[in-house]
Amino acid sequence: MIEINDVHKQFTSRTGAGLFKRGTKRVVQAVQGVTLQAGDGRITGLLGANGAGKTTTLRMLAGLFPPDAGHIAVDGIVVKDESLKALARMGILGDAHGLYPRLSARENIVYFGRLQGMDADTANARATELGKLLEMQSILDRRADGFSQGERMKTALARALVHDPANIVLDEPTNGLDVLATRGLREALRWLRSPEGGGKCIVFSTHIMQEVEQLCDEVVVVSKGRSVARGSVPALLEQAGASRFEDAFVKLAFPEEVTA
Amino acid sequence: MKHAWIVFAKELADALRDRRTLLRILVPALMMGPLLLAALSSLIASLEERADRREILVVGMANAPTLQNFIERQTYTVKEAPKDYEARLRATTLLEPVLVVPADFEAKLLKGEAPTVEIVSDSANQRAGAGIGPIQGLLRGFNNERASLSLAMRGVSISLLQPVDIEERDLASVQARATRLTSMIPMFIVMAVLYGALTAALDSTAGERERGSLEPLLMNPAPHGAIVVGKWGAVALLGLVVALLSSLSFIPAQWLLKSDVLQAQFQFGMGEVLAFWLLQFPLAAGLSALLMALAIRSKTFKEAQAGSTLVVTAISLTPMVSLLNPGGDAPWYLWVPGLAQNTLMLQVLKGEVLRWSQVLPGVLVGFALAALALLYVARSMRAAVAR
Repeated sequence: MIEINDVHKQFTSRTGAGLFKRGTKRVVQAVQGVTLQAGDGRITGLLGANGAGKTTTLRMLAGLFPPDAGHIAVDGIVVKDESLKALARMGILGDAHGLYPRLSARENIVYFGRLQGMDADTANARATELGKLLEMQSILDRRADGFSQGERMKTALARALVHDPANIVLDEPTNGLDVLATRGLREALRWLRSPEGGGKCIVFSTHIMQEVEQLCDEVVVVSKGRSVARGSVPALLEQAGASRFEDAFVKLAFPEEVTA
Repeated sequence: MKHAWIVFAKELADALRDRRTLLRILVPALMMGPLLLAALSSLIASLEERADRREILVVGMANAPTLQNFIERQTYTVKEAPKDYEARLRATTLLEPVLVVPADFEAKLLKGEAPTVEIVSDSANQRAGAGIGPIQGLLRGFNNERASLSLAMRGVSISLLQPVDIEERDLASVQARATRLTSMIPMFIVMAVLYGALTAALDSTAGERERGSLEPLLMNPAPHGAIVVGKWGAVALLGLVVALLSSLSFIPAQWLLKSDVLQAQFQFGMGEVLAFWLLQFPLAAGLSALLMALAIRSKTFKEAQAGSTLVVTAISLTPMVSLLNPGGDAPWYLWVPGLAQNTLMLQVLKGEVLRWSQVLPGVLVGFALAALALLYVARSMRAAVAR
């Protein structure tokens, strides 16, 4: 169960500058009012264009920095106050998901498992299990050095799931994956949502309509740092009065584009 | 604590798998010492050999039978210098100074006019320069003998010539004398600590950021302090291991010593190795943390390398302070990381006993530096991924 309630975040950035002139500071409103309720046994999609504030929201959820305003809780634990406790209940595949190139996929996974408080044997068994689920047994004992994009993504995902978290947070997990790998990932997520897979609470961000249509029980549309609509795919179609989901998204996210 | 241990084990395994980098660190660290000792010893051996040969290169010896007689009585052999001795001295192909005797030597000597002899050398040619002393000594002996003879013939006591008796007494112990030659060694140990720690320090901070693995790492429920301490432990240990190997390398290096004198003087056993190694602990602790603190703010390994240049330069220059100011050890030396270790190691080489009051400043500074820098790293880590 993940609750994000009206969070705000602003950054200061510098503008470009001349040879001798420093850039002036500018405040960027990255997130200004995103609200999301993700229940257990459901897949909740965070749909938005590039730069809409999806990644910033998820990074706040991961406790990397506190929101300026608003409230984030995981299974009732407030992230800002008890970030370590909240992190133990989440498996996060973030925007950055670098591996250690000199360690094998299994060692990468076990390392995080141990940091999550598992003993070496349990973590090892879990890595084997995840290798099966994500269809990556063949690369499990290879060094991450020469992994393809898809193999890296799978390893990073397995690493995030090693402690069998009740809540799974994925930031654009299908970026750079081919059709087969995307399908495989979709299958894995469906299984994790099902009661036999643990009935996990899954939140994932994306800008790809297809994925949302095929996978999500609930969608939160984010635009310019705000969550502008939420509901299931059919409900959103109805709300926008559109037959294609892409049209519905554009109408909801960029109303001014449609009226123009 | 458990988290720190897990991070420590992983960082160590990770660093040890990087064989190519490891080799690049170890080869210079292990080779420099033996190479230096071998070069030193061959220099000393050639000086000794020259002393044993008791030869002197002369131009125009035939002009001075009296001088030749004196020189030969001192059991020196006179050899004719090569014709192109000036050019060869300049080109350092001739490694001994040349005595030049003028044609009118004997005539002037008889008339009581002082003839001028020249000792030709090139101050850029150090080996030739080192040979001047014995020739000067010979000529002084000749002067002395001539003067004494003339005075004796006139019935004057010879002791008038030497109102003061001079005798040299060297206070340095045998080991202390060898230290003059081996004072470079501590520098290599300090550098070994630095090079051992450098790559690992940058890889575990800036490298981790560059790979994009720092952010996932921080998404584990591990206190940042524990993560930083684990990384630091691995980095410092690598520095210490390289330092230990480097000081161990001086033990077999002793076998390369050609000079018997140097071999007798240079005493470097397991006791010295252990003392050297223990002295590096505060340095490794402080230096590793400092390098990590400098690197954590850098987004890439390359940027961090540029940032660490200052530390590398500063540390490699610290031994110079004592080299340029020999014998003038100031109390503040013991408070400067690098310089403190250098000073204390020189004492060990001299065979002097270390007092706690000498060791303690370095230990305090080293560990205080480590604590401060680690605190900074732990705080900066979150900021590093939040941007």
